[in-house]
Amino acid sequence: MEIKILGTGCTKCRRLERLAREVAGELGVEATLTKVKDMAEIMAYDIISTPGLVIDEEVRAAGRIPQREEVAAWIRQAVGL
Amino acid sequence: MLNYLATLLQTGLGGLAAYLAAHVLLCLLPAFFIAGALSALIPKEAITRFLGRDAPKWVSYPAAALGGFVLAVCSCTIMPLFAGIHKKGGGLGPAVTFLFVGPAVNVLAISFTGVQIGMDIALARIALAIVFGIVIGLLMAWFFRREDEAHNNATNRSQAFAQEARVPVRTWVFFLLLLAVLIAGTLPVGLLTDSHLTFTLPGTWAGAVQSWLDTIVPPNAALGVEGVSVHGVLLIGLLILIVGSAYLGLNRVDEGFNTWTYLSLGLIALTLVVAAFRVVPVEDGLRVGITGRLVAEVLLIAAVWRMATRSFERYQVQEWLWETWRFARQIIPLLLVGVFLAAMARAIIPADWVRAVAGSNTLWANLIGVLFGVFMYFPTLVEVPVAQTFLSLGMHRGPLLAYLLADPELSLQSILITNSVIGRKRTALYVVLVTIFSTISGLVFGWFVR
Repeated sequence: MEIKILGTGCTKCRRLERLAREVAGELGVEATLTKVKDMAEIMAYDIISTPGLVIDEEVRAAGRIPQREEVAAWIRQAVGL
Repeated sequence: MLNYLATLLQTGLGGLAAYLAAHVLLCLLPAFFIAGALSALIPKEAITRFLGRDAPKWVSYPAAALGGFVLAVCSCTIMPLFAGIHKKGGGLGPAVTFLFVGPAVNVLAISFTGVQIGMDIALARIALAIVFGIVIGLLMAWFFRREDEAHNNATNRSQAFAQEARVPVRTWVFFLLLLAVLIAGTLPVGLLTDSHLTFTLPGTWAGAVQSWLDTIVPPNAALGVEGVSVHGVLLIGLLILIVGSAYLGLNRVDEGFNTWTYLSLGLIALTLVVAAFRVVPVEDGLRVGITGRLVAEVLLIAAVWRMATRSFERYQVQEWLWETWRFARQIIPLLLVGVFLAAMARAIIPADWVRAVAGSNTLWANLIGVLFGVFMYFPTLVEVPVAQTFLSLGMHRGPLLAYLLADPELSLQSILITNSVIGRKRTALYVVLVTIFSTISGLVFGWFVR
């Protein structure tokens, strides 16, 4: 599974990245985590504010840090658990 | 030589101590909590839904200005939203309005300007930034109307602007309470500043400590340097305790509360209350006055505390505190360095120069104010102590406002980032328009205040 964190590198993006990594680890899901920092690449997704969370090319959250349970639910859904 | 260095250090320290002890506390502490709440408790969709491509102009431009006020406390939110509104939403005009209003009119900048320099400049900063933000946006959209249309047809319709969100009533009430803490702490009216009850703490030590403080950090009215009081030293001590406990308690508050969290919040409340006392050293002790401000602060802080624990989910409070801490950690260290250097500059820059260049309200002086803002890049909020230094050296309030409008808008760094989003031609026009309008603002404001 592929998780992308969209954001130009502010504190919030780093927090979201940590959260996603932790949740994937807890669920035992094999995931590659990529940080997308280029503004044009970020804007290619349908979001208008960062940080953004993209799981398997689907935008799940933008402009906020989702809660742990939300992230867990999205990851479970993406791998079909 | 050694004497000169000592004077420099004393001026810098005096400025720093006066900032920490006297004005900043009751203004900046609540302002950071408000900025944190804006960032954590207002869903961005509540405003971005008015910034889509289908929104009529009379909705999207004011919404963009409001969005600048509410959403744009830090640059990491400004640029993605700016690019988003330009590429997928209302287009170049509202995007430019958003970009212009944000840095000049956020709650931190306005309250800080109001307390340090004067409410006249703070209100002018809000009103002119909103009006000129909208005018500049409209002009940009008009100049590039053809290209914008082509650009609109080429890009896809975005769903991101269609999402709706409402701000619940309790959030508004919470904001009003936080705002009341800020206003009660800073508004200079008799009801708040008068002491309604005074008592004297006995002891001759107070006078001795005060005269000792006056020799270390001598007040210098000519340079606008205030001394440090016994009260001030107590407050600075409390601030140092806050820094320590907040680092342990708020840094990871997103993961949960710990003892340090409550300790640091308690210390912050205590500091606001202590700052609201009126303390004057007299011959045989310290005269302490219970001011109206003190009563108001105690009641309001209790109300905020109660609301935070009862009306909001725990994760919302965590988010709020974390955002507040993030802003404080990002802005305050640079601000302190800036205050120290700006205070020191008072002793270095000859007042004659400042008066010769910007002592009166001329077109030339206003333009110089703007250009100084463009070429000097000061971190967030540092423009305020810098402006205060110039004010104490004899700068006219007109050019001062021109500088305060231009500095956060047009640094070389922000010009480069804007350039990467909207291209060279549009950026050039934007820079020219901002320069012209900031100069005119200063000039017009200068006529009014004389």
